[in-house]
Amino acid sequence: MQMTAEHKESKATGPATATRDIYIPSERVAVSGGGTPHVVAKDFSIYYGDFEAVKKVNAEILSKYVTAIIGPSGCGKSTFLRAINRMNDLIPSCHTSGILQFDGEDIYGKLTDEVLLRKKIGMVFQKPNPFPKSIFDNIAYGPRLHGMTDKKQLEEIVERSLRKAALWDEVSDRLERNALGLSGGQQQRLCVARTLAVEPEILLLDEPTSALDPKATAKIEDLIQELRGSYTIMIVTHNMQQASRVSDYTMFFYEGVLVEYAQTAQLFTNPKDRMTEDYITGRFS
Amino acid sequence: MNLGTRKILDNSFTAVGMGSIVVMALALLVVLTPIVYNGVGAVFFTGTIEHRTMLYKEYGRGDSKTIEAQSATADRYRGEAYRMLSGFEAEMEGMTPEASREYRSKYAPVRAAMSSLLGPLPGDPQPMLTRFQYGQTRWEKAEEKLHDILYEKKWDYSDPTVMAKEFYVPRAEAFAGTKLAPLFGYVDKHLADMMQPQFTFYWGFFTDRSLDAHIFGGIWPEIQGTFFLAIGAMLFAFPLGVIAAVYFTEYAKEGFFTSILRSANSTLAGVPSIVFGLFGLAFFINTMKVSESKSVLAGSLTLAIMILPTIIRAAEEAILSVPKTYKEASLGLGSTKWNTIATVILPAALPGIITGGIISLGRAAGETAPIIFTAAVSVGSAIGIADVFSSPTPALSWNIYNLASEHEMASEIRHVQYGMVLSLVSIVLLLNLSAILLRAKISQKLKG
Amino acid sequence: MTEEVKNDGQRSSAFVVSPQKRKMQKLAKNAGETLLLGIASFVAIVVLFIFYFVAVDAIPYFQLRGFTEFFTSTGWYPAGEPGEFGALAIIYGSAMVTFGSALLAVPMGIAAAVCLSDILPFSVRQYAKPIIEMLAAIPSVAFGFFALVILAPLLQSNGGPLLMWTWWVLAAPFLLLAVIVAADLLSARFAREENRRKMALLLQSLFGILAVLVLYVVGTKLNAIEIITGTNALNVSIILSFMALPTIVSVAEDALQSVGRELREGSYALGATRAETLLKTVLPAASSGILAAVILGIMRALGETMVVWMASGNSSHIPDPWFNYLEAVRTLTATIAGDMGEADQVTGSARYHVLFAMGLLLLVISFFSNLVSERIVVRQRKILSGQ
Repeated sequence: MQMTAEHKESKATGPATATRDIYIPSERVAVSGGGTPHVVAKDFSIYYGDFEAVKKVNAEILSKYVTAIIGPSGCGKSTFLRAINRMNDLIPSCHTSGILQFDGEDIYGKLTDEVLLRKKIGMVFQKPNPFPKSIFDNIAYGPRLHGMTDKKQLEEIVERSLRKAALWDEVSDRLERNALGLSGGQQQRLCVARTLAVEPEILLLDEPTSALDPKATAKIEDLIQELRGSYTIMIVTHNMQQASRVSDYTMFFYEGVLVEYAQTAQLFTNPKDRMTEDYITGRFS
Repeated sequence: MNLGTRKILDNSFTAVGMGSIVVMALALLVVLTPIVYNGVGAVFFTGTIEHRTMLYKEYGRGDSKTIEAQSATADRYRGEAYRMLSGFEAEMEGMTPEASREYRSKYAPVRAAMSSLLGPLPGDPQPMLTRFQYGQTRWEKAEEKLHDILYEKKWDYSDPTVMAKEFYVPRAEAFAGTKLAPLFGYVDKHLADMMQPQFTFYWGFFTDRSLDAHIFGGIWPEIQGTFFLAIGAMLFAFPLGVIAAVYFTEYAKEGFFTSILRSANSTLAGVPSIVFGLFGLAFFINTMKVSESKSVLAGSLTLAIMILPTIIRAAEEAILSVPKTYKEASLGLGSTKWNTIATVILPAALPGIITGGIISLGRAAGETAPIIFTAAVSVGSAIGIADVFSSPTPALSWNIYNLASEHEMASEIRHVQYGMVLSLVSIVLLLNLSAILLRAKISQKLKG
Repeated sequence: MTEEVKNDGQRSSAFVVSPQKRKMQKLAKNAGETLLLGIASFVAIVVLFIFYFVAVDAIPYFQLRGFTEFFTSTGWYPAGEPGEFGALAIIYGSAMVTFGSALLAVPMGIAAAVCLSDILPFSVRQYAKPIIEMLAAIPSVAFGFFALVILAPLLQSNGGPLLMWTWWVLAAPFLLLAVIVAADLLSARFAREENRRKMALLLQSLFGILAVLVLYVVGTKLNAIEIITGTNALNVSIILSFMALPTIVSVAEDALQSVGRELREGSYALGATRAETLLKTVLPAASSGILAAVILGIMRALGETMVVWMASGNSSHIPDPWFNYLEAVRTLTATIAGDMGEADQVTGSARYHVLFAMGLLLLVISFFSNLVSERIVVRQRKILSGQ
């Protein structure tokens, strides 16, 4: 509660300065062709009915990098993430204002086909959610949806996706088994593989390790490192260590406001905003 | 109030609750036990030679040699009794008219009972109705007839303040000194020899057509009719119900119109079953004229409307219980809404939907009131699948009522009625049991 | 792949489609949803049709004969020349068996629901639920058969002793409880602390003798009763109560479950026993849901056809005295089922339409009861969820 005053302060300055804080530190650029603005938000707000859950976000998400989104629960970070591939459409009262663009095109434009959009922007959810089908059918689900029927091609895609998700060695001999028989960590990597199979450009990870044990979490984090450079990755996480380990950039949300957005190393060592500092030092959560 | 009293009250409260559940279990037991016990008796019973002869003549089943051998033995013993009857008839000819008339009136019931026990007596013309062409086919019925032969039922009117009581007088006394006198002892002693009782497993009860309005034979037409009606109802109601459930769970926006639709659903669920019958008669038969008069089609449509709300509710519940994450995952992969429903949601909800379907199938099979005016006839043979659009059919539920309440020999064919009730109850309970098991399996699967 | 998608033009066409295509998509979506809506509206259309077609065949009766006779006369001679169509006795018969079954089913149903939701451990509940489901699944005609072939002869031959034993088994425990409670209350009120035990003991023995006397006198009275016909209102009420029970139990249990644990814990924390918690806090909180359960259960009994047709005796008169459950009665549903066979031949006559009038009466009653119970359930849900 005593945060409120400070919060109001940051609300006035935070979003406005956010985009200016973005810079690409040369020593960390290990990615070729990355760093162009991939998703751009301009005064982008999300409402549930009358409630403004995400308030006028201005930010550019850079391609091929890993961007982490942190903040206390209910701060709007998941809402923001889910807005990028329009998963919020499932909630009837949810609507948006401002501009959100993907490669220069309006995500919420009148002519947007959200089905094609979601094919380009894949998502992995908090709890592993494989379909109650075989491992193979889970991975092949997306390609089949988009019209692929050739068995050979499907097999190739399944293997490639599972390899990318570092799961191939563990499941290659039991692709016909029910995916629900896998361990939680394996299930989550399966979900990543399933998303990769439709060849998206952006991977949205909504707290992908919150339901996993430390070992499985480490594997997912390794995976994120592997995929960095091939995909633009955005990850919402509660775990600040995780954010600092896996991401290149970090956004800090508080009560719907993008308070700070900077290179991860900088944000965690030298936060500009008092709120951010309080949060990452654990003074509130 | 002191603590002791409060605790006693607390415990008695618990006892009342448990008591009512126990009462329900007892009620179930009390209703089912006689039905199962007597119903099994329709299939497993001690059959007489008459039963075997009847099966051989009417259905062509059984080993002719054994039957002939047993018949011959039975006839030998019966012959003696027949001789006593004809001897007495001759004796009466020689009596004075008054004595003859008195004996004749006493003799008539004996002769009728003998005929009922053994079939047509020698010299009688072949009866028209099948029921009179054979004697008693079941041993316990034969024993009842024996009692009729041996004793005369009389009423005691001595105390006018209470209802008259019945009592029995041995007939032998009335015929003492005549040639009929030894008959009673003889029949009593040689009943088994005359009837050749033998343990019988009459599996044909489920597959045979009925003879002479269910006096003999099986209940196949009723079983088939019940299946036709129930499955017909499902054919209409199941697809409609599932699609409506998809609409309610995935598409309907909360608003005035949707709430009207939901109210309509619960209203339909509450409509008394006999009113469905009235509606079926007024709409499907008199207005739409789906058939000339009663037909399986009209009955199935009426039943379909009756079970629709149940199917919708069950399917809605099943769809809602599919984890939301499946839907998100599918949509997140770039699937369209319809595709998601068809490939992820419905397959995951299918066991639950089928559970609801099975229970509705049982309900359709067990209902009587909606088919009284639309589909059911009391006597009839099994109909072909092509006749369902135009012909009515016998059905278990309706014929249980009919045989128990309106049949002219209702108390003589209790075993058939019990057999029908057991068949119907088994069909319905087995369907429900499989639904319960299916549901248990689903919840186990969801647990992991 | 990564190099390819760098081309801006290609990428933008990745998810933005031409206006025509978007329009087509919207059109297809709307068409599909309209189709679904049409199918979902089928139920509503059916309900309208039922009302319409039953009413259309019911109205000619009222045009021919007016309302007075139907609702006020007890003379039911539909086959007479001219026919009499007084349905009062039939309506009364329906009300009588419905009330009788509710009298048995409501307390038992609520007690069982409470037991299932609050008292029984989960392991036992697993076995209790299928019992209730099986009771609900047994076809009504099987209950009717039981009532006609087994219960009716039993009542007719051993009705008196049966009633006596039922009275003893049911009344004895309750009277015992009443004696204990009354003695406790009175002694607490009038006796001083040190005399209280003795006073309670004295009162208990006094009331005890009184209770035994009541048990015995009423028992012998019941034993002397001779039941003329086993197919009577009592028989039907008993069977109908068992048919209504599953509905009452399941709906009431839902209502009890929806009362949160906090409420129960709050009461326990104040030192209440389980019975007190349930009676004083949980049941009042769930009362509207339980009321809905009762209404639905009663509707089940009122709308039941086969049992009453087979086992009520189908005699159209108001019993004498009016509460005599040992006499045969006739109900609306049984009249519709039984008279249509004859009335069918003479379609168009009052005799045919009067049965639709009865159907309309049943339909209207069930419609309003449903509406009321639904409102109650919705309101309770709102209160419980929204505080």
